[in-house]
Amino acid sequence: MEIFKADVVIVGGGGAGLRAAIAVAECDPKLKIALVSKVYPMRSHTVAAEGGAAGVKKPTDSFEYHFHDTVGGGDWLCEQDVVEYFVEQAPLELTQLEHWGCPWSRTEDGHVNVRAFGGMKIERTWFAADKSGFHILHTLFQTSIKYPSIKRFDEHFCVDILEEDGRCQGAVVIEMGTGEFTMIEAKSVIIATGGAGRVFRESTLGGIVTGDGMALAYRHGVALRDMEFVQYHPTCMPVTGLLFTEACRGEGGYLVNKDGYRYLQDYGLGPLQDKPKNKYMELGPRDRLSQAFFFEQQKGRTIEHPTLGSVVHLDLRHLGEAYLRERLPLIYEMAETFMGLDPAKDPIPVRPGVHYTMGGIKTDGKCAASLKGLYAIGECSSVGIHGANRLGSNSLTELLVFGKVAGVEAAKNAKSAAPGNSAALLKQAQAVEQRVMALKTKTGGSERISVIRKEMTQSMEDGCGIYRMEKTMQATCDKLAELRERFKNISIDDKSSVWNTDWLTAIELDYQLDVAQAMAHSAINRKESRGAHQRLDGYEQRDDVNFLKHSEAYYVAGAAPRIALGDVKITKSQPAARVYGAAGEKADQERKASHV
Amino acid sequence: MSKRRPYVRPMGGWWKKNPFFVEYMVHEGTALFVAAYAVTLLVGLVRLGQGEAAWNGWLEAMKSPLSIVFHLVLLVAIAYHAITWFKLFPLTMPPMVVNGKRLEPNVVVGGGWTAAVVVALGLLAVVWRIAQ
Amino acid sequence: MSESQKIIEIEVLRYNPESDKEPHREVYKVPFSDDMSVLQGAQYIKDNFDGSLTFRWSCRMAICGSCGMMINGIPKLSCETFLRDYYPNRISIEAMAHFPIEKDLVVDLSGFIEKLESIQPYIIPREARTLEQGEYIQSPAQFNEYIQFTSCINCTLCYAACPQFGLNPDFIGPAAMALLHRYNMDSRDGGAEQRMQLVTSEEGVFNCSAVGYCSEVCPKHVDPGNAVNINKINAAKDYFLRFLSPKGGSK
Repeated sequence: MEIFKADVVIVGGGGAGLRAAIAVAECDPKLKIALVSKVYPMRSHTVAAEGGAAGVKKPTDSFEYHFHDTVGGGDWLCEQDVVEYFVEQAPLELTQLEHWGCPWSRTEDGHVNVRAFGGMKIERTWFAADKSGFHILHTLFQTSIKYPSIKRFDEHFCVDILEEDGRCQGAVVIEMGTGEFTMIEAKSVIIATGGAGRVFRESTLGGIVTGDGMALAYRHGVALRDMEFVQYHPTCMPVTGLLFTEACRGEGGYLVNKDGYRYLQDYGLGPLQDKPKNKYMELGPRDRLSQAFFFEQQKGRTIEHPTLGSVVHLDLRHLGEAYLRERLPLIYEMAETFMGLDPAKDPIPVRPGVHYTMGGIKTDGKCAASLKGLYAIGECSSVGIHGANRLGSNSLTELLVFGKVAGVEAAKNAKSAAPGNSAALLKQAQAVEQRVMALKTKTGGSERISVIRKEMTQSMEDGCGIYRMEKTMQATCDKLAELRERFKNISIDDKSSVWNTDWLTAIELDYQLDVAQAMAHSAINRKESRGAHQRLDGYEQRDDVNFLKHSEAYYVAGAAPRIALGDVKITKSQPAARVYGAAGEKADQERKASHV
Repeated sequence: MSKRRPYVRPMGGWWKKNPFFVEYMVHEGTALFVAAYAVTLLVGLVRLGQGEAAWNGWLEAMKSPLSIVFHLVLLVAIAYHAITWFKLFPLTMPPMVVNGKRLEPNVVVGGGWTAAVVVALGLLAVVWRIAQ
Repeated sequence: MSESQKIIEIEVLRYNPESDKEPHREVYKVPFSDDMSVLQGAQYIKDNFDGSLTFRWSCRMAICGSCGMMINGIPKLSCETFLRDYYPNRISIEAMAHFPIEKDLVVDLSGFIEKLESIQPYIIPREARTLEQGEYIQSPAQFNEYIQFTSCINCTLCYAACPQFGLNPDFIGPAAMALLHRYNMDSRDGGAEQRMQLVTSEEGVFNCSAVGYCSEVCPKHVDPGNAVNINKINAAKDYFLRFLSPKGGSK
């Protein structure tokens, strides 16, 4: 086995991982950084983010507003001290990215422009047309090339992290091109592997979004926090799940049902607005919009498409072709290419699809996990800013703000930590290699990867969808337990070494099953409705007495996870009714009045 | 140790695999006809320098059926070369911006043609004046 | 649906370096619906017929740049190419041309990545600025100078379209040169001189014979061929400036 000695190893080369790598390199150029990614970094799923990144920009805006939008949007399940830090750092990090070359869209006078986004009181979403994630990722990747201390392990697949003497001290990776193993020793390990939405059937996500890092940390005893909160994005392409950015609505798009009626006015988001108005109608938060779709469907007011199923229409026609081409070029092309329609002439059929995992590896406000030396950032982490529902455009900013924090912290730790026991680590790594190789070389299995995956994703959609009930959640928990058993009998067609994606897919599926279990068991345990977790079986209300708590899922080998509850940090925003539209405005005024 | 064994596909006959490449090769090939015509004219110039008899001989040769066929072939080949050459304008020229908007490729090509036609007509007019 | 299920034949150029001497073709009969992409066709084969079929993919929406392949001999992103457009004919898929095949549809991209790294693809500030000073100001005209060249998704279809790269794998090639040009044209950047050496080098722009197919196949309308050709002009200018200016052009 190859051995590589680094100071910091970062698993995941998306926005968060790259930002962290740059932060470490800037802290101390002598620190050796190993950046591991199972795809070339610019393929990471940050690339697909469309709408933009939130950070206070306008003189009429304030950190206070961004804070309240985020905490209220998260249904008060946010770590408020962390949110405070986040909103203050956001504009600095977005400006930093501008200095590195990110082509943010601009106003006529040459300053960075901002657009409206759901659940945000003031326009504060920095955007690069509708390819914000793409530009952020490529800017970070290209900037990272400037730093010689960043040694990239592109197309290397992480199969385990190493824990020795109570500290996380490295990772074991497979070079996908050869199938060979490398042990990367490091004093700090940062996990930045992104979300796990691919455990669901219809999602906006790329094939790589399989929760690898979450499962790795989880198996080492680190809690996965708030995993039941899975965001359905309200406007996705039916069947494929591909995303039509929230910016479609930020720029003025309407959502209408089969009668051409803007139904959101019936769900506490009205009254009707002609022009996009922040926190009204189509600019409500994602959880509310997806839930409204569910009820429209129940009422038989969705459009029943012969091949696409139930949909509503995203209507952009009134914005005109020229404006759409300028502000939403990717959306325009996607509608043309994938659906054969012209958004300037036809409404776009959409429905909610799985988009984001609010929960993840539990960390403190400095991105440190409970295992010393281990850090987590980005969608795989739960640093505490999203609570029960993430506001659109907070996640891209999160990558930058906390990517930097983790980089700085990991660098500090790497400089102060005692050297590890290389021999003991190697022994562990060899055991990992044996275990992972056994999955490939074993014979006699009869279960196909694709079949187990299909049953898992269907079951997650059935049990942990937009609305949940005890019975169906239990069925999902049972199904996952069954699939866990059946996974042991898996068969892998490909026995080769070079580029064996069959084998790697099986490892990913193994990760996915663990993460899915954490989600389903966290969900069934939360007997209330909050943010993206909504129940229809007697727990329709938010219950702050019993559940103003984080869920924490702990791995139990060979059994269902253990779910514990953890405290929520509240600094200046006491839980209140979560209201939007006119009611939201009234509540805002009352809050202001009570402060005076 | 590594079991990698990257396979490099041969490039032989690459230009026959795609109509776009065929057009490219024909375009490049027709440049030879442009050269051939230049040589023909050059020979005429040399003959002119050698005196009246030589010049008349060259003129006669130009009138032969073989020469006319040759010139027809040249005309077709050079026309093809010109058309495909103008087609490359948007690729090879820096983008042209008018009123803050980038010119469309067909406008660039059209502009090239217009300029060429104007220059050709101008030249013709000059020659005409001299011949008068 | 089941009785009217359409079946398309997909012919795949397969190559397993551990067992095959050279690539060979295999044909699969894939049931498909009209919304199925070529990528989904390949996934169907992997999921149902042969798990060893190997290809790169991720986003499914033509932005991650992973899934390029030759589809009936033309470089395309398989996620945005649809089986219905080929039916009832057989469709052939093959690894991107001009790159060494690692396995099946996966090619060796390490050379491309090295080229990308070699062009200094980052802002070399013309004028330093602190975060407290806020963003650089860029007029719409300055913005329009480079924005088109930022759209490259590194899918390398342009390399699969470039015979000169096929003949000389050292050629820096369209996408890398487009990225170089992107930074040169950015008003925030002052690194054009540093990058010129590479433009005029043995591997540089003069390998290009203006075939132009790179720009034709680019799924994001980056027009990398234009970037290469503009830099021929820039290189020529630089060459002559060396005679004119006492300092010479760039090094």
